[in-house]
Amino acid sequence: MADLSFPLITAAIGIPAVAAVAAFTNNACARLAGVAGAAGASLCALEVFREVSAAGSARLAEPWSLGLFTADNLNATFLLLYSLLTLAILILAPRRDTSAKITGTTLLVLSATLTAYGADNLIVLAAAWILSALPFIAGPFIGSWRPRAGLAASCIALVGAIALIVNAAQAGGDTQPFSIASLAGHNYGGQAAFALLIVVIACRKGIFPAHAWLEDAAEAGPVLPVCLFINGHFGAFLLARVVIPDFPLSAQGTFPILSDLALFTAVYAAIRAVAETRARRILALLVLSQSACILAGLESATQEGVTGALVHCVVVAVATTGLFSVLRLMEVRFNRSFTTEHYLGLSEYTPRLAVFFVVCGLALVGLPGTLGFCSEDLLIHGTLISHPQVGLLLPVATAMNAVSLFRLFSRMFTGTQRTGIQGVTDAVPRERWVLAAIVFFIVAAGMMPNVAVALRANAAHEISLVR
Amino acid sequence: MTPLQLILLGVVLAPGAVFALFSLLWLLGWDAPERALTRTTAIVYSVATAAVAWMAWAMHMAGLESIAVPLGDWFTVHDYHFPLVLLADRLSLPFLALTVILVGLIGQFSATYLHRDPGFARFYILLHLFAFGALLIFSAGSFDLIIGGWEMVGLTSVLLISFFHYRLGPVEGALHVFTIYRACDIGLITAAFALHHYAHTASFVNGMPQVSSGDATVIGLLLLLSAAGKSAQVPFSGWLPRAMEGPTPSSAIFYGAISVHAGAYLLLRAQPILAESSIASGAVVLVGLMTALHGTIVGRTSADAKTSLAYAALAQVGVVFMEIGFGWTWVPVMHIIGHAMVRTLQFLRAPSMLRDYHQVHAAAGGQVEKTGKHLESMFPPGVQLWLYRLAMDRGHLDTILERGFVQPLLALSGLLARLDRMGLGAGGPRPEQTRSHRWLISRFR
Repeated sequence: MADLSFPLITAAIGIPAVAAVAAFTNNACARLAGVAGAAGASLCALEVFREVSAAGSARLAEPWSLGLFTADNLNATFLLLYSLLTLAILILAPRRDTSAKITGTTLLVLSATLTAYGADNLIVLAAAWILSALPFIAGPFIGSWRPRAGLAASCIALVGAIALIVNAAQAGGDTQPFSIASLAGHNYGGQAAFALLIVVIACRKGIFPAHAWLEDAAEAGPVLPVCLFINGHFGAFLLARVVIPDFPLSAQGTFPILSDLALFTAVYAAIRAVAETRARRILALLVLSQSACILAGLESATQEGVTGALVHCVVVAVATTGLFSVLRLMEVRFNRSFTTEHYLGLSEYTPRLAVFFVVCGLALVGLPGTLGFCSEDLLIHGTLISHPQVGLLLPVATAMNAVSLFRLFSRMFTGTQRTGIQGVTDAVPRERWVLAAIVFFIVAAGMMPNVAVALRANAAHEISLVR
Repeated sequence: MTPLQLILLGVVLAPGAVFALFSLLWLLGWDAPERALTRTTAIVYSVATAAVAWMAWAMHMAGLESIAVPLGDWFTVHDYHFPLVLLADRLSLPFLALTVILVGLIGQFSATYLHRDPGFARFYILLHLFAFGALLIFSAGSFDLIIGGWEMVGLTSVLLISFFHYRLGPVEGALHVFTIYRACDIGLITAAFALHHYAHTASFVNGMPQVSSGDATVIGLLLLLSAAGKSAQVPFSGWLPRAMEGPTPSSAIFYGAISVHAGAYLLLRAQPILAESSIASGAVVLVGLMTALHGTIVGRTSADAKTSLAYAALAQVGVVFMEIGFGWTWVPVMHIIGHAMVRTLQFLRAPSMLRDYHQVHAAAGGQVEKTGKHLESMFPPGVQLWLYRLAMDRGHLDTILERGFVQPLLALSGLLARLDRMGLGAGGPRPEQTRSHRWLISRFR
């Protein structure tokens, strides 16, 4: 196995951790420390991405890391994407969301998430997984009790599954019982470990019936950290990284049922969103629905479906970051939470934020000219090939999501203009440039999707179940 | 690439490039002056009109049936390709010409009509996006690419209906139209997939893919669903009067000319598939017939000029659908072109209708006879009254859709929300809120 030129993954993990300490100790420059930490992590992740792309389909080990971290086509994109999203959020966040506590914890979550992405060791993966969820279970990002319960359940199930796998690997005489790569195809832990891992994924992704925590988290928790947390797509990552390679036989037998369940969740969340009135919940349900589509694509076990799912991960992450950010900026500007009970006509005050919102939203639901169109196209083809009968639910869910999103946009930004609102500014340059970059990425990648699709196709090809 | 291919590519891409440029500059903080927008529009569509005319003439002189511009695959995964190929043939050329001419004219008309309107720049930016989408539909060499243009036309249509976004009518109308569009677009998306599945391609550059009669029925009916949605055919006609809330120039170009005929173009393009299936062809004729009758009857009770014109357009598009269902090609094409031109003019003159009427009345010496009364008089009074009620409620179509689909969906959504609150979601409600918890507490207190 070739090596990375430098311990870049360790650097990407360490820089935000150091920045978190700086943020915690100095409230005045918390945002600066956060931006610097996320930017440093992004640069390291970019270099990892470049080296992995140059190496083709090879997996690169990190030097001096005792085999704890590796980089390949699957995790290099996740490393870069998550670092950049954190950077964007830290720049975009309104002042009241950039306290030392929030910024420092966000950086720690970034550090833990990058550790989980880069880990080639089950213990490191589990530890990082738990660390990334800890702020949402024990504080300071606690919302209501359901997110705590859902995430705690996923952590416990993960520890159980890994214990079973490692135990079986040691019993089987495996010399590297903790290495994810060396476990491929061995089916260590059997049906019990597989079932526990499916529980982990269902809890973390919010697959029916373990879906409601995500709505609650978005409703009651701090929306931007929650958005980042959701966009880690740990459930999909775990499926692609551990479950499919390590349990090919169990996966092949079970995936039709799981895929149907994911499609059901996509439709369920889409139907729920139709009559939902609270803006945060509507966005959470849309993310839930689209994330379930990702899972359905991964479980379709077709090259089109898996590639579409991996591209859609990127689309959902970027687009929902834009959506939640605009929503949060609007909440802070108007000092209220939004519902769809009345037309608010706010585009009169914030026309550019309205446009950013609608473009991100339409990318999420597959507007042509955005990367979402390509990923939806691939997802629909993949799921229709593997499940011709129920695959039709995917375009139906997407259509309903689009209607819900447009309804939210209409109620928030159009309608009779409110009177008595003064001193509200449209997107300030700091927000405008970041949101413009998000829109530019979505559109530019949508106009020339071959690069993104080819990169993800390589990763998809490495997932062994693809036919 | 030959000069003709370059011209076709340039004509299709130019509006998209103008849209991208102006919208990006606006997002970054620059408000384009009116003159910059109108002059750019005039130059782009004048050149595009000349280019399409030259292309048609050159093709005619060279005896070319079609020009294809293969641009490779937009993206490729395994065996699946999204072909990026433009096609100008005898069917698409008239539509390309119609689009660039009418968009250019509407651009000129709107320079005065929307002068100093706060949404002036927004209108022009959306007009360019619409032109790009429409040209993409008419020049697409595959059904995959048609989907791209199709969605863009739908989106711009919705955004222009809600152009006067400070009034509730346009905003609610836009949401209604968006819902119908998205529901019906499922037909086109699924039809494209079905073509990939049955024929392994959705490209028609080298002729329409061959499919069996049964497959043709499925694909034909899916395409009809999508076409009916876009062209406001029965049972989806209810959105058309709501779409009249947009500014008059956009109503003219969308619902008098281009967008409302996009469904007909889709069926014309898919005519070889329809010809394979008598069920699909029959369904096209039936939908067209019902729409023609619906438009004729409802239009007679419409109280405002734009809605009357909308229903008149609907009746004509219904007839066009029937012509397509009968397997004719050139009759519907000529019908569409003539109808689009006349209807655009009527829409643009709609704000001056009273003045026009008085002019005609005066020119005829005050002797203008009332017309349009003979159809009603053919029916007995009881039937007339029933027809009147039917027309006033616009064929009960909105009521049927509301009660058959919208209300059950909302009820289901509400039910699921209640189930979530009751504990179907992860973990259920707070432990202290559950009946069992309260019972346990009461036992051990």
